[in-house]
Amino acid sequence: MEAVAQQIPLEHFLVLSAILFSIGVYGVLTRRNAVLIIMSVELMLNAASINMVAFAAYTSPAAFTGIIFAIFIITIAAAEVGLALAIILRIFRNRGTANVDEVNALKW
Amino acid sequence: MGMSDAWVLPLLPAAAFVVLALFGPYLPRKGDWIAVLAIGAVFVLTLPIIADFTDALALQGEDFAGVANSIQWMEVPGHLELNFGVHVDAITIVMLVVVSFVALMVQVYSLGYMKGDARYGWYYAVISLFVASMLALVLADNFLLLYFSWELVGLCSYLLIGHYSHLRSAAEASKKAFITTRLGDIGLLIAIILLWRETGTLNIQGIIEAAQAGEVGREILTASVVLLFLGAMGKSAQFPFHVWLPDAMEGPTPVSALIHAATMVVAGVYLVARTLPLFELVAGGTELVLAVGLLTAFMSAGMGLVMTDIKRVIAYSTLNSLGLMFVALGVGSPAAAMLYLFTHAFFKALLFLGAGSVIHATERQEVGQLGGLWSKMPLTTITFGIGALSMAGLPFLAGFWAKDEILVALLENKAAFALVLVTLPLTAMYMTRVFVLTFLGEPKEPEAHEHAHEGPPTMAVPLVLLAVLTLVTGFVVFDQVGEAMGFPGGIGELIFLEHPHAFEFEVWVTLASIGLVALGIAGAWFAWVVRPELPAQAMARLRPAHALLANKFYLDDFYQAIIDRVVLTTARMLAWFDRNIVNDTGVNGPAYTTGFVSYLMKFQQTGKLPNYALAIVIGVVALALVAFSLKA
Repeated sequence: MEAVAQQIPLEHFLVLSAILFSIGVYGVLTRRNAVLIIMSVELMLNAASINMVAFAAYTSPAAFTGIIFAIFIITIAAAEVGLALAIILRIFRNRGTANVDEVNALKW
Repeated sequence: MGMSDAWVLPLLPAAAFVVLALFGPYLPRKGDWIAVLAIGAVFVLTLPIIADFTDALALQGEDFAGVANSIQWMEVPGHLELNFGVHVDAITIVMLVVVSFVALMVQVYSLGYMKGDARYGWYYAVISLFVASMLALVLADNFLLLYFSWELVGLCSYLLIGHYSHLRSAAEASKKAFITTRLGDIGLLIAIILLWRETGTLNIQGIIEAAQAGEVGREILTASVVLLFLGAMGKSAQFPFHVWLPDAMEGPTPVSALIHAATMVVAGVYLVARTLPLFELVAGGTELVLAVGLLTAFMSAGMGLVMTDIKRVIAYSTLNSLGLMFVALGVGSPAAAMLYLFTHAFFKALLFLGAGSVIHATERQEVGQLGGLWSKMPLTTITFGIGALSMAGLPFLAGFWAKDEILVALLENKAAFALVLVTLPLTAMYMTRVFVLTFLGEPKEPEAHEHAHEGPPTMAVPLVLLAVLTLVTGFVVFDQVGEAMGFPGGIGELIFLEHPHAFEFEVWVTLASIGLVALGIAGAWFAWVVRPELPAQAMARLRPAHALLANKFYLDDFYQAIIDRVVLTTARMLAWFDRNIVNDTGVNGPAYTTGFVSYLMKFQQTGKLPNYALAIVIGVVALALVAFSLKA
């Protein structure tokens, strides 16, 4: 850990997580397939996890706070994916599509 | 039955009302016998109460201040205590006798008069309710119960005036009576609230004692006395509220006899007599009563002379009498007022029931269509004649004694005395006129005369009983008669305890009044019997004066103009304000605005997921930028 910290500065991790997060946002906004949107959301969650772990390693290596946060994020992501895929499956069964543009019953 | 049990009295007719109102249509004879039995029981139960009263009087003499019996209704500790209770003293006894006896006579009379009426059962229900409220009114020991019954008798009056509700005139007359008296009632209510606020009690005697002890501020006391008198003026149809009483004659005639002659309209006199100590505490208080009474008596005497409806003539004579009672109160002689009230109840009820008998027989009530009825209806002619002469003030009839008592009480007030003297021949004149035109002379409509007949015994008996009472009640003024009846001090004790006041007799006053009455009767006899063409000539000669009287001094037109111009205009303006400002702008305005904004905003709900996602991202970025810029 010590060695890695000396060779790679914190900024690199932050830039990586920012890029990952932006890719995720871009995916959420542009994709129409619900499954792909879920995958993009996963990217954003992972970006956040990287952020947590990186800060934990660089600022307070002795404490495990950030790492525990990351583990929580992974847990929540798993639950979220399970739930979201179930919903998408039901929508697909009902409407024969997973395209979110066509799922627009709730509007004025 | 002692005096403290008097609370039972109103409950009997009240129970009769409940039974009749709920089950009347299913009862034999629509339940009229229940109403008559209830009021009969009240009359019988009044007798032991009177006996108890005379016993107490004999024991305690002038110190006897009446018996009170009350129960607590509710209490807010430290703030408010409401009691319901009865208070029986001499003035209550007089009212009890009048109400229970006249009500009994009228209900028996109605058995014949109202027979075949479409709403016979309802008539008996309401008249029972009226008797119950009237009894509660005269028994009440506190202003709360008094006001409660005060409004109830007003309601019954409204219902009974409008009994023939298919007649537009009856519907309007009932409305007029109710609204006009309401104007005064508001004054009474405010007065009660003011007095309660000042003294912390609603008990009538308590308030009088507190006021006499100086616990009520001068301005407040003056205001409440004037407002109290407004209530009395409305109920007793005193100028300028008198306009409702003649119109109230649209109701069935027995109702006029009971409510608009003998009982309800004297409630104002009763109220003022009860609270007279308050009037005496206020500068100008009794003078106000005197002035209003004089004005009413004087105006109504003139108007009675030109009315052509037999019931309306009697109605104006009632106004005349009520005015005289207030005059007596105004000079501080409640004894004279109560004596007049007592005798007036009998002869005025007799007059109305006699008029009812005529209307029943001929179905006409314009004197121009009647005439010559004495040959067909001798009993009615004699009894009505006794009533009319008593009203006129012929010696030894009931009205004579009471009227002379008022005159004697007035001796110290020269102007008032003179004015009352002037009304005497006028009263005698119009009473003679209505008698002559109805019963004497030639029948003006032979067809109506042909079918005229005496009423059934249920109508004849009350007439005879009331006529007998009219002949004899006057004699209670003699101490010996009063004592023989069990009242140790004669009339003073019978009529009003707190002002012991024996009957006074001034020979020259009596002679003057007899002379004036005789003059009036003779004048009327000359004008309508000896030379029947004379009134028409006089009318032509005095057209403006006649028009003024026949149009009731144009007061009705004046009120109508005020209602049209002021009340309705104001009401229209307020209605516009309510419709446009309060309703459309104040209430509907925010609702419309919310709706419109919602309409505009609903279009952002596209139902497309990426739009929502984009909105979230933009929002987060914007918030982040704000946070950073604030930090920097």
